[in-house]
Amino acid sequence: MIPLMNAFACLLSLAMAQFLWHKPIRLFKEAFFLLLALVVFGFYAFFAGDISQPDMESYPFRMLALCLCFSTTALPNKRRRYLLMAQVMWLWIEFFGGISLYYHGVDMPWTRILAICVSVFGSTFLSRISQGMEFALMAYWIAVWVFF
Amino acid sequence: MIFRILLYAGLALLLPGLAALGYSLWEGPAAWSLDTRTFWGTPISLFVFWIGLAHAGTLISAILLALGVPLDRRTSMLAELTTLCALVVAAVFPLMHLGVIENFYMVVPFIDARGNFANVGSPLVWDFCCIAIYAILSLVFFVIHLLSDRFQALEDLRRPMAWLLFPLVLWVHTIVSLDFAVTFVPEWRGAFFPLYFIAGAIYSGLAMVNVLLVAEGCRVRMLEKLMVAGSFVMLAFWGWNFALKGDWNFSVFAFGALLPQLWWVSSFRESAVGRLLVSASVLFGLWLERFYLVMPSEPQGFGWTDMGLIAFSLGFFITLLVFLRIKLRKPIEGDVLLFGELDEKPVPVVEHHTEPLTSREFIVLRFPLLVGVLVALVYTLWAVSRPAFDSVALGVPHVVAMFFPIVALVAAFVLCIRPFWTIVPRSRFTVLASAAVIVVAAFLAGMFYAGGSSQKAVREAGADIPSETIFDGTVPDSLHARALWNARCSSCHGTDGKFNEKFIREFYPVPQKLTAARLDSIGEDSLVHVILNGRANMNPYEGRLTEADARALVRYMRSLAPETNDSAEVAP
Repeated sequence: MIPLMNAFACLLSLAMAQFLWHKPIRLFKEAFFLLLALVVFGFYAFFAGDISQPDMESYPFRMLALCLCFSTTALPNKRRRYLLMAQVMWLWIEFFGGISLYYHGVDMPWTRILAICVSVFGSTFLSRISQGMEFALMAYWIAVWVFF
Repeated sequence: MIFRILLYAGLALLLPGLAALGYSLWEGPAAWSLDTRTFWGTPISLFVFWIGLAHAGTLISAILLALGVPLDRRTSMLAELTTLCALVVAAVFPLMHLGVIENFYMVVPFIDARGNFANVGSPLVWDFCCIAIYAILSLVFFVIHLLSDRFQALEDLRRPMAWLLFPLVLWVHTIVSLDFAVTFVPEWRGAFFPLYFIAGAIYSGLAMVNVLLVAEGCRVRMLEKLMVAGSFVMLAFWGWNFALKGDWNFSVFAFGALLPQLWWVSSFRESAVGRLLVSASVLFGLWLERFYLVMPSEPQGFGWTDMGLIAFSLGFFITLLVFLRIKLRKPIEGDVLLFGELDEKPVPVVEHHTEPLTSREFIVLRFPLLVGVLVALVYTLWAVSRPAFDSVALGVPHVVAMFFPIVALVAAFVLCIRPFWTIVPRSRFTVLASAAVIVVAAFLAGMFYAGGSSQKAVREAGADIPSETIFDGTVPDSLHARALWNARCSSCHGTDGKFNEKFIREFYPVPQKLTAARLDSIGEDSLVHVILNGRANMNPYEGRLTEADARALVRYMRSLAPETNDSAEVAP
């Protein structure tokens, strides 16, 4: 996928994050929006990239993880816990997806993995998350997505 | 009453299933449906299905406990019991597929007296270690839960243990997914498999717990809703799989995603039979999904053995689960315990801010985790210095898969040792039992280190192979030899006489390939001797094969290596 489309995927994740976790939080509503988000991301990955490339195999799910990271900043309660969990999910996809591709001869995305690790580690020390911190976190995730 | 019916149903499936199991163990991989594209077949598809259920039970219980979502004791204990029973059932199938069951411990990546060291870069080796650790910790988690109403020290352990098990179970099922994702089979291409497998395991686990709750005569609406919501997520995974590879199976879609939507119909939802049908439909759909995943081609020769193995797995699971459920009736159904509908009651949510790194679980877990990380680091550094093949250096991605399970095992041990020490009564019996456990553990460790080497195998490694023997019996014909070869030898040597390298490389150093000329130079008598008495990693078959059988096998092996083609090599 060309860098421009990759950057646009980040914006799309941000846009879909707006639909998640709005009060009242209901299981089926959230599950439906997750399905919708995955369908949108799947179509995007299918049309915007070359899905014969190995690194596209987990692309919609990476977008979903990024979307969940964005959406957790708007949660009313227990933000630090879910923010950490969303980032760990992103790390999980990158790391184990990377291992499966490593056996097919593709290099592990170590820089991206380390960058997310730093973010996870740093987030554990967050106390009350201010709006400024929310913005800083989102900017960091976007930077990781676009540049690494 | 319902348990008695289930027990009879389980036995009715188990007993004929045992015949298929026995036949499969005797005949080896040739007993079940295999073809050129399917090298794992029914046993491994059953393994993936049951291991998914095994992971889901503890996951549901641990995840809800860790996140502070209330779930009544009966439901969570049923989920944990499902895990233990499904683990036992799942363990049968890879062992069966191994061919040489008694050597299963060779998969453990620890050096033994013979210098064997399993390939730590193999997902199959990761599988064995991770699942074994998961089984131990699930059992500990269940025992803690079982005794927690009597000992406060154990009740306090549950949440820290849940925080250990939560990532462990996700990790272990991810490793199961890598069995497929790291191969070059086109249908298994998928860096998204870790998430896909985890979602499938949770989905099928929810369905299984809902089935069990119907048998119990109660329901937990939250779990039903989670199951139906799970069908949406699975649909997204199947859709992406279709976009990526063109794989679409209507029956999986119908049973796994379409029929569960009947839950929206109130008459279905409110009747036990309706809920049972919906949950059973999910389980069947997910089983079909695993079946078609493991066997990408249309199964050839799917026969009574395959059906029998399916019946065995189902019967064994039901029998074991119902038996344990009856035996554990008192702790699961105690009067003081909550029943079924807890999630429907409004629970007052008290929000309070916790300063970073000050939660009770973190404080309890930090020292055990530190010890676990140190032990795992030492092991990883040691393992990475011992590549299974001189030509392939091990990298971090090869060895990292076992890192967290080792951390979790050591951390759980450190975490549990003190509370258990406080609750165990001090008596002479306890001291004797502890000493006995230590002695047995030391004995097993010694056996493991010995590597199962037998006097015969040591003797065979030497030079006392007879140069000439006289055989005056009748050698069976080539058809008989081919059947024997397929049953006894093909799992390692391949049906075509070439190595089954994918399998071999997981466990053993690959031996020198022998050409037809080299086979001739070794001679028939020496090869017969090796088959009957073993040599290095080749097991002795004396008592299971006659000398005439062995001789027929040598001649069949020789026929697989035509002299005119140097590339057609056989590998005894």
